[in-house]
Amino acid sequence: LLGFGTVSCNEELLEPQPKASINSADAFNTPSRVLLQVNNMYDYVKAGNFLGGRYQVYGDIRANDFINRTSNLVTGAAVWQHTITESSQNDVINLWGAGYAAINQINVFLAGMEENAPKFAATPFAADFATTTATYYKAEARFLRALCYYSLLQYYARPYTDGNGSKPGLPLRLKAEKDLNNNNLARSTVAQVYEQILTDLNFAEQNLPLTQSSASLNVTRAHRNTAIALKTRVYLSMARYEDVTKEADKIVSAAAPFRAATGVAHELNPSIVSVFTSPQETTESILAFPFTAQDQPGTQNQLAYYYLPSNQGGNGEYNLSTAAGSILAEPRFTATDARRVNFVTTVSNVSYLRKYTAGSTASSPYTDKAPVMRYSEVLLNLAEALARTNGAADARALALLNAVRTRSNPSTTTPNPAAYTASSFSSTFSIIDAILLERRIEFLGEGLRNNDIMRLLLPFPAKSTVSAVQPSATLYIWPIPSTEIATNQAMTRN
Amino acid sequence: QEAWAQTQTISGRVVGTDGSGLPGVTVIVKGGSQGTSTDSDGRYSISVPASTSTLVYSFIGYAPKEVAIAGQSSINVTLSSSATGLDEVVVVGYGTQSRRDLTGSVATVNAAQIANKPVQSFEQALQGQAAGVNITTPNGVLNNPPVVRIRGVNSISLSSAPLYVIDGIPAFSGNSSAVGSVPNNPLSNINPNDIESVEVLKDASASAIYGSRAAGGVILITTKKGKRGQSRLSLDSWVGWSKPVRLYDILNAEDYIAIKNESVRNLNANRIALAPPGTTPTLAVEGFRPTLDANGNPVDTKWYDYIYRTGFSSSNTLNFSGGTEKTTYYTSVGYTDQKGMLKGNSFKRASARLNLDHKIFSRLTVGMRAGYSNSRTASPNSGSVADGAFGTAGLGRLPLVLPPNVPAYNPDGSYNTNGAGIGAGANINPTGSNNAPLLPGYYNPVVDLENNYFRSEGNEVQGSVYANLEIVKGLNLRSTYGIYNIAFEDQAFYTSLAGDSYNIGSASNFYRTNKRWNWQNTAQYDLTLGGKHNFSLLGGTEQQKTTIDRWGANRTSLADPFFTTFQGGYTNIATTGNFQGENYLLSYFGRLNYNFSSKYLASINFRRDGYSAWAQKWGNFYGASVGYAISEEDFWKNSSALSRVSFLKFTGSYGEVGNSQGVDDYASLALYNPALYGPTASLFFAAAGNPNLTWETSKKTDVGLSFGLFDDRIQGDASYYKNLVDGLILYIPQAPSKGIPDNSIPSNVGSMQNTGVELNLRVNAITTPNFSWSVNANLTTLKNKVLKLQYDDQRIGTATSGLETVNYTRVGHSVGEILAVPSPGVNKANGRRLVEKRNADGTKTLVQYDHQGTGWTTLDGQPTSAPSQLADGEYYGPTLPKWYGGFDNTFRYKNFDLGVFIQFSGGNYIYNGTKAGLHDMRFWNNDVDIKDRWTPENPNGEWPRVVYGDNVSNGSALILSTNVEKGDFARLRNVSLGYSLNQGLASRIGLSTARLYVQVQNAALLTKYKGIDPEISTNGSSNTGAGVDRNSVGQARTYTVGFNIGF
Repeated sequence: LLGFGTVSCNEELLEPQPKASINSADAFNTPSRVLLQVNNMYDYVKAGNFLGGRYQVYGDIRANDFINRTSNLVTGAAVWQHTITESSQNDVINLWGAGYAAINQINVFLAGMEENAPKFAATPFAADFATTTATYYKAEARFLRALCYYSLLQYYARPYTDGNGSKPGLPLRLKAEKDLNNNNLARSTVAQVYEQILTDLNFAEQNLPLTQSSASLNVTRAHRNTAIALKTRVYLSMARYEDVTKEADKIVSAAAPFRAATGVAHELNPSIVSVFTSPQETTESILAFPFTAQDQPGTQNQLAYYYLPSNQGGNGEYNLSTAAGSILAEPRFTATDARRVNFVTTVSNVSYLRKYTAGSTASSPYTDKAPVMRYSEVLLNLAEALARTNGAADARALALLNAVRTRSNPSTTTPNPAAYTASSFSSTFSIIDAILLERRIEFLGEGLRNNDIMRLLLPFPAKSTVSAVQPSATLYIWPIPSTEIATNQAMTRN
Repeated sequence: QEAWAQTQTISGRVVGTDGSGLPGVTVIVKGGSQGTSTDSDGRYSISVPASTSTLVYSFIGYAPKEVAIAGQSSINVTLSSSATGLDEVVVVGYGTQSRRDLTGSVATVNAAQIANKPVQSFEQALQGQAAGVNITTPNGVLNNPPVVRIRGVNSISLSSAPLYVIDGIPAFSGNSSAVGSVPNNPLSNINPNDIESVEVLKDASASAIYGSRAAGGVILITTKKGKRGQSRLSLDSWVGWSKPVRLYDILNAEDYIAIKNESVRNLNANRIALAPPGTTPTLAVEGFRPTLDANGNPVDTKWYDYIYRTGFSSSNTLNFSGGTEKTTYYTSVGYTDQKGMLKGNSFKRASARLNLDHKIFSRLTVGMRAGYSNSRTASPNSGSVADGAFGTAGLGRLPLVLPPNVPAYNPDGSYNTNGAGIGAGANINPTGSNNAPLLPGYYNPVVDLENNYFRSEGNEVQGSVYANLEIVKGLNLRSTYGIYNIAFEDQAFYTSLAGDSYNIGSASNFYRTNKRWNWQNTAQYDLTLGGKHNFSLLGGTEQQKTTIDRWGANRTSLADPFFTTFQGGYTNIATTGNFQGENYLLSYFGRLNYNFSSKYLASINFRRDGYSAWAQKWGNFYGASVGYAISEEDFWKNSSALSRVSFLKFTGSYGEVGNSQGVDDYASLALYNPALYGPTASLFFAAAGNPNLTWETSKKTDVGLSFGLFDDRIQGDASYYKNLVDGLILYIPQAPSKGIPDNSIPSNVGSMQNTGVELNLRVNAITTPNFSWSVNANLTTLKNKVLKLQYDDQRIGTATSGLETVNYTRVGHSVGEILAVPSPGVNKANGRRLVEKRNADGTKTLVQYDHQGTGWTTLDGQPTSAPSQLADGEYYGPTLPKWYGGFDNTFRYKNFDLGVFIQFSGGNYIYNGTKAGLHDMRFWNNDVDIKDRWTPENPNGEWPRVVYGDNVSNGSALILSTNVEKGDFARLRNVSLGYSLNQGLASRIGLSTARLYVQVQNAALLTKYKGIDPEISTNGSSNTGAGVDRNSVGQARTYTVGFNIGF
């Protein structure tokens, strides 16, 4: 009557399967699922705590062009004033965590591609999936891994130029981590990490497609020229100038107008303003990470939030310094320079960077792409390499420098008065100084400054009430996070 | 032929000690079979043989009384409550038992201790009421779930909360709101006035019948039933006023300006001292200046005044109950509208309940328990719930950091804002350029309070139906089917005027359904053999399926300020808060209770559970206990010396129960989740899973005795307990460089134990017709020790709101101790913070800090590296109280009653992180005690020399022992004074009972703790993050006035 006999013991209910998650065993079952995972690797590298915003911010605020306005530890105040510690959560711990989270997603993907290779031989996979598509994907993965390791090295390890890479680098994680094993891993040397970066980039260069399938994807996913462009940056950081030249020559024509002859036809866009105008997908942009209203950078990661003044939709976390030594105080950054006219805005006597304009006033909240590499960087990388190898008289170096400079200082007069000539240089202002200055102007707010200072072992200049940090100082590089030291017994402090 | 036996008729009235008639009291002839029961007014009339000499009056919950007839025809009897007595019926898992025969450890809290308190959910009223049950109110936000711990913390990664079972159906508990600023405790859906009793099952014997869910103890809630032969209507109403207490004393505008400018001067002195000879460093500006209001007077804003208020609350419950021979019923409707001391914080609940029991045939009973309620919680962003401690909008924090010399409103009445944040007033950024204004970056709380809202609404249908068939005498088959469904709608709206969604405006809505069905089938056989061997045998099965779904969306870029709801006009929408989970529990269980003449007692419980979330699904759990009621022995009863101890029972139990509470539904699986890469979809490796994941096992030992002295005028019990948790799941921290999702993998590797002693004492100290005094006291000690983690010197940190890690758990110590760098104070010579730094050989060196000057140096001025928490910290623990309890006094004088309830707790440490913020030398406001800072004239100052921007010396950037304090406290939690109308007066105005009362909740606090409240738990119910006070709001003091009347 009461149903003892009818108690149905639904044992199958003990095995519920999630409806919003895919079991790992099924993650590589179809080509579309594999593609979703390729997209994911980019998504992890563009995490707000990594190359989706904060990395770019840290790269500038460690130096002296920006002034912190909010004393907020969450938005880099400790980075700005060089008071970070190994337990600083928002910067030291989170950047490391986001970088390595991306690396493991990439390693898990690469391992999955090997483990599931037998599936690729049959439907629903296309006949050329295993030979072509899968190879492209793996090359993209290794490109991204190289980008991650390179980016982390610039903060957590001494520069390559300090002892030719002999200093402690990063733990080199190349295996997919999915279980409790392998917690302890010692640091490789800086040179060993760079070697891995170059191995990955060489593989990427050889196996990436020449182009992706759309102009948009040419900016947001890697192709052959992306790998080459990153190599110029990597070699520059290693001070291997001849290698910079060798790589850059693959995508920079011998003479102006400079452009890439193969693959995606990268070249300088005539207007710097439109490079940063939505959708930011000119051929000048080699790699930039996209955001949409559905996929926002996340709280306190947005570039426009940091730099735009509050009446323009940002939070004005940092304003541009006008003190001596700052870029705004530099007479060669002229008042008519398009980058000053368009990218500097002054509110109540305080100057702000206005490179990222999709502030919260726009209907697309904070959807500026996070820039990683532009063609102008390749040109200046090459210019510097040539100048350092061949001396100040290298005409191509001068032409490359002027290409970037005069693009933003157009003139109807010939020669362009803004252009440098051999006579512009002196013992106190060499062509190298001019190139470095141009990089500061050109990439202001794009996060390259830290890397430029470190590779040349220059001090971080003093600013406001913050003293300079000498290359010999412990805090010249960031500490290894306490979270890593606490869990990885083979880890050593900086 | 039998002669008419001579009879006598006796009538009268049975009343309780409060003078009200007791309905349903059994009146029987001693030694005979005749009997009757009293009517709704307590009156009775009985015809008994003339030979009858004595009548016995008995009623559940009251001490029985024998009265000699001695020729009287009218006998009025007063029965005194034995609510704490030995003969009360105790609700246990899937049944009831007499306390006298109990061998497990069960604490009972009765209706009066819960009802009519200014609380949102009943657990808040359990505070201090039962031994072994520690309840912490983590903050003063309404409907925030209290932290309930039975005999300590019983897990590290899973839930340590007890299992709540309402009328047999396991309940949902824990904060269920999707909106961080507003909490929603599902247990607040029950009207506390509908609760008859709350039983707390503590040891393995009592709780093992709940098997895999019993590790944290079990709390059984029984709602009220009607009583046969009566019909009652009663109304319980109160109104209350809540106010904040113990707010921090912070600097006014004038002092703020003086202190901050002094700090700027000191900063400049540091930098000048540091500059190479002949150079001048960039100097900071003394930018703190009075802001003038419209009348030209300096602004001196009391931010607290904009945030706190006197909150008015009211509660009304009307119930109607009664019964006939066949049917009993209890039905109630209730409505409470509570407004908290924080502006915008409110809780409203409309509830209804219908409990029915009906006897269809003499052996077949059916019934139902059904409750419906609608609860609505609204809160501003208090920064006190769900990881909000460091938010720039948290109302716990804003009044402490905002400059008092800037106004909330501009002279024209508009909000003082600059972009998202508050405007600078006249303050100039000391370290900025071009005399830029000093913009705090924190929000103007008035904008948030007046424009934003955070709401969580719950609609709950909860209940069960049952049928019980007594096949033969003593053998009952019972089937119960219950549902427990809650629909939550959570809403957040942010104005575009300023604050979190400045310029955009945004609205989020979340809809969540918790659905559960539970089907239990049991067979219970009670029989007595040979008059003395009493057996009670239970067998049963239970299935429970739970499904939780949530979806939500966030709309941004408000089209027009007119729109303030999700349905208004916006440009963008993005999904947020999606969740999907399901789990299933399948169980078989049994119990055998045996006693010989209530003298020798034994009980065995067994349960086998299969649970879907585990990789290894099945587990066996059991509990066994024995008892010996030595006072039932004849030698005891016959000894005049021994029998003064009217009751003495020894019990012991051991068992193994499990913990599955709080494990994610799919924790054992390796999974990929969907996401977006810009405009395209993506799929990421989201969970590593663990193919060996299974139950945590809690091995519980309990040894105790209970006693009654002087005819049970003094009763008590004492027990020693030990909970050893094995197979403890740790989300084992993985090296961040491994890049594992969440940097952890759950695994059964740890072990932990809780030991302690519980004492309970109930004393009817004075009992006279006009005056009585009774005391109910309890004390619990607790020692928690982690025995095993993944490896011996592992330390697992628990972060506060993701920003600051104070608590560390390690082997050999209590969970979540505070790790702080020891500071002996301030260097009298120069005013710098002194800190002990550990050398390689373990010895310590004193170092000092000079902000933006010489930095960290030894006392002889040599530069040294910065001390760090991990390398130089010392542990302070435990963070869990070592002892706690309650001391409840009830006095009665004629018609007056006075209750004085004191709750106490101590032996623990608290990290007062709020104090670190209150002495931070950025632009933040400071505690007035900063005036006792070091200056050359005040070399003994408590606080270091103030240097602008210094966030190190007082603990914002380095966890310092200076901010670690002892947490001992005694709280006068409740004082109530009541007056009951005497019977005559009441009936003349048409009432059967009436009581008026006034009470004060949180009347006083005795503590040396310097923060707002030693109970604050910024990390909420985190097992390993207790004892942190970071920017949370304290508890209110509430005055209530109310009445209970019966018709």
